Amino acid sequence: MDRNQLTKWFKAPTKMAHKYSLHAVYFCTGCGVIEIPPTITARWDAERFGVIPAATPRHANLFLITGYVSVKTLRAVIRTYEQMPEPKFTVGFGSCPINGGMYWDSYNTINQLDKYIPIDGWIAGCMPRPEAIFVAVTHLWTLIDKDMADGYKRYRKHYAQYRANQEQVLGELEWPPLFQSEREG
Amino acid sequence: MSLELLMVVALGGSLLTYVLGRVSSRLRNGFAVLVSLALVAMVASLYGKALHVSYYEDFLGMSLVLRVSGLSWLFAMTASTLGCLSVVFSLSYMKGKERTSFYYSMLLLVNAAMLGVVLSGDLLSLFIFWEIMSWSTFLLISYNGGPALAAGMKYFVMSFVGSLAMLAGLLTVYGSFGTLEFGGVAAGMLSASPGYILAIFVLFGVAFGTKNAIWPFHAWLPPAHSEAPSPFSAILSGILIKMGVYGFLLIIFVLVGLRNFMALGADGLPLHTVLSIVGAITILFPTFMAIMQNDAKKLLAWSTVAQAGYIILGISFGTSLSVAGGVFHFVNHAVFKALLFMVVGTVEYRTKGVRDLDSLGGLIKKMPLTFAVALIGVCGLIGVPLTNGFVSKWLIYKTLILERSPFLALVALFGTWGTILYSYKFLHNIFLGQLPEKYKDLERAPMTMRLPMTVLSIVVVLFGVLPGIPLSVINSIDTSFGLKPLNVTLWGLASDTGALNTINILAAVFAGLLIVWLVLKSGGRKVSVDQADNYAAGAAIPKDKYQYSVGFYAPLTRMVAPYLKDFMDSFYMRLAGWVGGLGSGIRRIYTGYVGDYAMYIVLFLAALIFVQLTWSPW
Amino acid sequence: MRILWLVLSPLIALAVGLFFLGLSRRVMARIHWRYGPPLYQPLIEIFRYFTQKGSSHGVLFGLGIVLSLAGSIVVILFLPFGGICSMSGSGGMLVVLYMMLLAPLGIALSGGEAANPNASIGISRKLMLALGYELPFLLIVLAIMTHYDTISLVDIVSAQRETASAFASFPLVLSGIAYLLILPAMLGMRPFEVVHAPQEISSGPIAEYSGPYLGLVTIQHALTTFIGISLFVNLVWGGAGNPFVFFLKMLVVLAFGLFVNAAFPRLRVEQAVRYLWRWPTLIAFVGLILVVTLGR
Ligand code: SF4
Repeated sequence: MDRNQLTKWFKAPTKMAHKYSLHAVYFCTGCGVIEIPPTITARWDAERFGVIPAATPRHANLFLITGYVSVKTLRAVIRTYEQMPEPKFTVGFGSCPINGGMYWDSYNTINQLDKYIPIDGWIAGCMPRPEAIFVAVTHLWTLIDKDMADGYKRYRKHYAQYRANQEQVLGELEWPPLFQSEREG
Repeated sequence: MSLELLMVVALGGSLLTYVLGRVSSRLRNGFAVLVSLALVAMVASLYGKALHVSYYEDFLGMSLVLRVSGLSWLFAMTASTLGCLSVVFSLSYMKGKERTSFYYSMLLLVNAAMLGVVLSGDLLSLFIFWEIMSWSTFLLISYNGGPALAAGMKYFVMSFVGSLAMLAGLLTVYGSFGTLEFGGVAAGMLSASPGYILAIFVLFGVAFGTKNAIWPFHAWLPPAHSEAPSPFSAILSGILIKMGVYGFLLIIFVLVGLRNFMALGADGLPLHTVLSIVGAITILFPTFMAIMQNDAKKLLAWSTVAQAGYIILGISFGTSLSVAGGVFHFVNHAVFKALLFMVVGTVEYRTKGVRDLDSLGGLIKKMPLTFAVALIGVCGLIGVPLTNGFVSKWLIYKTLILERSPFLALVALFGTWGTILYSYKFLHNIFLGQLPEKYKDLERAPMTMRLPMTVLSIVVVLFGVLPGIPLSVINSIDTSFGLKPLNVTLWGLASDTGALNTINILAAVFAGLLIVWLVLKSGGRKVSVDQADNYAAGAAIPKDKYQYSVGFYAPLTRMVAPYLKDFMDSFYMRLAGWVGGLGSGIRRIYTGYVGDYAMYIVLFLAALIFVQLTWSPW
Repeated sequence: MRILWLVLSPLIALAVGLFFLGLSRRVMARIHWRYGPPLYQPLIEIFRYFTQKGSSHGVLFGLGIVLSLAGSIVVILFLPFGGICSMSGSGGMLVVLYMMLLAPLGIALSGGEAANPNASIGISRKLMLALGYELPFLLIVLAIMTHYDTISLVDIVSAQRETASAFASFPLVLSGIAYLLILPAMLGMRPFEVVHAPQEISSGPIAEYSGPYLGLVTIQHALTTFIGISLFVNLVWGGAGNPFVFFLKMLVVLAFGLFVNAAFPRLRVEQAVRYLWRWPTLIAFVGLILVVTLGR
């Protein structure tokens, strides 16, 4: 853990602050939610790493999508993601968000989450154990260090495309586009 | 500037307004504004003068006197200013309503009567103007008809009882001293017996207390305030009921004299203690009633009752600090309560008569200025430092603590927390929260509404930051009452036991605001988001329904409501029922037969003769 | 010197407050048998908030939180901190009582402007809870002010110098006990954590804050913790001659609050108010009667 290396703090304080205070949205979609309680309580104690659940997306900067995403949930996922303040990071948790997993042919779930919102990292498995969350978090740290956790920038850049994908499954969206200008351009 | 001219302008202006209303409404409006402005100027020019004129020499052997003193100047100034602002406010509020000429004329008449009350120099003119005031007030309260008529009736009956008490007091005083002039009465009171003074005090106290709506005479106020037209509610709450305060000040300090007053019942239960306990009850109970109201004006009306309690509490202690606090609180309350009633009036005007706190919301987006002035008014009401309410409440609290009455201080301070609750409810349910769809394109308040509100809000802040300006006037009143003068500075008070210095607070608050603002600015970029983009657990915001205002303090209400019955009100209502029953019982004897009436007369004469024969009293 | 303290005391308060926040998270973690975050975790978080993008809900949204924080800063200037009080002669305890009101009022205004019902619910709970603890609190404050016959905090502290604490002077014992009973409510700790209840109303008043606004709220939280504890130390525990002892006393009070916090579940707001209006009020009331009847 490099939290205690002062030189890093001096070099890039913003990055360090973002790395060590990842607050995750309380948003639980599929089966994976069962892995969250042990992660944040005494057994694994995610707070050591600065990871705690936040009650509203406005406070959060980490979005863990824990399992399959049904079409109805997708709407809420997008909404929540858009309400999080930038910079924000997303992690897909389990096989379902990656490629559909065991629900790959379900009439009601989407198969590839990163068609609708940008994902910074994946945890494979069905379902992954809490340790995997920590692996993901440390991996996310490396990505942030290297400026590679740039999902929110990609979202802004390709917003038109994302929005089109979203509208494809959800039909007409009842909220206005997040980035007005990009859509026109 | 002669006082007669002032009264002539005031009364004549009212009459002429009605006449001009027949010609053209435009002319009438202009004239009404002009008259009220002229009154303000004339009263202002009286500042610091001590005039004494008898305008009617020989009325039953008495001369009727007008006079101006420091106290009456302060009240007259407040009354005329509020009257003027209210007339200006009415210009848009009353647009398109019927019987406007009548309304304006009555508004000016009330104004004139109030000036008469505070400027009169003997009890008889006081009574006459008092009656004019009560009558015209009744007409204005019931202006809207329907429930307003019932409210007006309630007001009228209660204030009629008050007037009767006052008349009785008047006759007693005249019977024993042979004069009604303040100076003569005061001279007579010096040698009067305590029992007599107590009787006089109670008789006048009922009259003034009813007008001032202190507990237990408050029952008329909430319906009357909420049903009257809003600009008039501003006057009613701001100054008219404070005529009771004027009366109390008059009787305690001018007529009875402070020493006599403090000596009343000094060995048992002192009268001033009773008065302060009444003040405390008047604070506590209406505060909780206000918390439970759902009608914006009813909430403010209950709050008016509660604030009147602070004033009475201040006056009843009779020290220079407390009287200054009480009188200053009267001025402040006049300013911010008039302001708040005007705010409700504006909202009512724009939303076509909605003042139900459960169905408004989010209006800050549409009426930012109205919200700003409402916020200032509410801050004054709570007594946030740097608004006027803070200084006067500070004076009152300090008296209570220094005089070692911690229980009264507890009530006063706790009442302030209650005030926060209801005034936040007021602000939140009208201006904050979600803006309902139907108010999407509400317009801002019209100019004639914004102007008076802005003036009043400036006064709130001015008196809060520079309390020395009003306090020096009040200090001279204190001195004229024979109290020790306060050490007033422009920024507050310099006294030996804990001084008040608003400039320090001002500097500290400004520095704090500036620093925090800079810190906020230094933070990351901010984007503004619409209310439709709020967090709702990922769901779309339900339009018109994503608002928490119904039952805002429901848990608290559930807790305290069973203990809070306005039993005085139900008592009065039952009393009214009895009197009604009695009336219909009595009506039975009017049978309509001449023979019966002749028999009554004969019976009555027989009874008289019988009495004369047995006891021979005549 | 005075100017220096004017600048320094809010900074000290902020440092102490943030330290307390970090410490309380750590202590709570240990009570839960966890390892817990580092002590400076609140600092990291505040830094993160300030570098994030904030979403504003209107002018009042920013203004309210600024007002609230400024109010807290001013209160700190009026509070003696171990022999140091930067603004002693400007109105005393009454001003403090009133200034303490700016903080909730500011948050209430800005939270209300956010137009989120969760925020409104939180605010209404906050105000009701405040009405609940304010009754015993005022009784306590009045007992102390009447006992020492002053409204100035500095005088109250120096009057306690002889006896080391108000507990030691007989009539104030009950007031002190009542103060201990309401302290968790004033600090917003469990069992009175109804206002922010994250699982229930999504953090209540601060549900819509993000980025720099949230940073200010966290600072505000640190300052209110400081104010609540230091008021307790000043009013009934005799303040202190120097800042270090004062700080130690504050630590003890915080520890007490934390243990209560860890041991209790959350009450509903009615239950909280009912509790506050029953035992603490009764004890404080008897205390005030004692003070009034016994005199000094
Ligand atoms: S990946 Fe497996 S555990 Fe996770 S949601 Fe899909 S099916 Fe459930």
